Amino acid sequence: MPRWGMVIDISRCVGCYACTVACKVENGTPPGVWYAPVYEKEVGSYPTAKRLFLPTLCYHCKNPPCMKACPTRAISKREDGVVLVDPNKCCGSRACVAACPYGALTFVEEIKGEFGAELTPWEQARYPQNDGVGTVQKCTFCAHRIDQGNLEPACVQTCPTRCRIFGDLEDPGSEVSKLIREHNGTQARPEAGTDPSVFYLR
Amino acid sequence: MEPKPQNVWGAPHTSWFFAMGVGGALFINRALFGIELGRIFGMTVADLLSMILIAIGGLILIGDLGKPLRVLRALLNPRTSWISVGAIADFVFLVLAGLWVIADLEWQGARPFAGLPWAGNSPLGIAFQVIAGAAAFIVIVYPGLVLAASPSIPFWNTTLIPLQFLSFAFASALGLALIVALWLPVPPALLTAWASAEILLLAATLLLFLAHLLHGTTSHTTAKLSVDRLVKGELQGPFIWGTLVGGLLLPIFLALYASLAASPAPQLLAISALLTLPGNWLSKYTVIKAGSYAPFL
Repeated sequence: MPRWGMVIDISRCVGCYACTVACKVENGTPPGVWYAPVYEKEVGSYPTAKRLFLPTLCYHCKNPPCMKACPTRAISKREDGVVLVDPNKCCGSRACVAACPYGALTFVEEIKGEFGAELTPWEQARYPQNDGVGTVQKCTFCAHRIDQGNLEPACVQTCPTRCRIFGDLEDPGSEVSKLIREHNGTQARPEAGTDPSVFYLR
Repeated sequence: MEPKPQNVWGAPHTSWFFAMGVGGALFINRALFGIELGRIFGMTVADLLSMILIAIGGLILIGDLGKPLRVLRALLNPRTSWISVGAIADFVFLVLAGLWVIADLEWQGARPFAGLPWAGNSPLGIAFQVIAGAAAFIVIVYPGLVLAASPSIPFWNTTLIPLQFLSFAFASALGLALIVALWLPVPPALLTAWASAEILLLAATLLLFLAHLLHGTTSHTTAKLSVDRLVKGELQGPFIWGTLVGGLLLPIFLALYASLAASPAPQLLAISALLTLPGNWLSKYTVIKAGSYAPFL
């Protein structure tokens, strides 16, 4: 059984936000809900100032604290390591939001149109799929795509610089495993003991 | 990446934690030390008040859920979720304490439920009290354990928080006894004993807060930021003046002053006790609001 994971090469990210937008289109997330945000920060000062970008998503941890904190068992981890929230079981306690060290979960308080109260035709078509008001949503690693066999998550497929690479962490010959091994890939907040499936290269 | 203040938990959670804590401690104080706070319709006020407070805490919890009608699902994961453990304890407490208390009901000179098998000090009645007392203990500490179990927020990630919740809950519950003592005939010796216990509990709580601040300062940079927000940031007023000074130091001083007199001054003790209640609430609110997510890279 594979353990799906991702390598994010920070040095390749140009901050185009294509991944963020591709994710939003693919998953039809309502306003305010971003499964794959990119954080940015300015460092240094002129003439050596530069802007750093940090693409993120749910890290699909091997030991997910969100799953432990959830009182309703709405969060589960599949055999392939993908961590999912079942919106039909979530009671909206937000315990998972507080427990996640990576800010990967969002509580949906309301769903309204991106351009006002009236939903656009696209929103009307997409939001009913995400009728999750009062529940928590998060990145699914595009489970609906990877379950088809040969599709990568939308953020990976869209990235123009190949900053995001997706693959099987259990397979030592996979591109992600090689990159982690050869470039000393690091996990976010390893001291939290969550063992994320997303590794960063700097 | 910078530390990010959490905004998931706030005033409703504070009220939920506060009500559950004081309610649970009232029941245990009555069961272990006989602090009944009087009787109404034959039932002890302490038991009734504890059930009311825990029910209020439960209602706040349910009202805060995104999907309140799914509350019963929150009982499904006691193996790893402290909220689940607490929700089960809430239900167990309310059912068993309710059944036990109702057996004492007096109505127009009669006790209609006196024949129930758990009435009085029957073995079943004692079993009900023991189980309800254990559930009350869980109800007091589980909110603190919810926070302490969170690896995301370093300032919360310590067992000092459930200990604070425990000691402040018992101090507040005993404080209610000191307030009620204004209207009930309490022997001076007993009042002195309550005042001494109150002073010890408040002093222990103060030490736990100081230990928490010290731990936060030395354990993690993000926890240190939380400490800074409490002692010199936007939470300074409610934490320093509301909790440490108004809710702990001043009540300790007043209770000491009142109990050192030849005969304890109940009014002063009641004022001291009254101050601990907002102090308790503010302590939880400020600790919750001070929580910040550590930068993850």
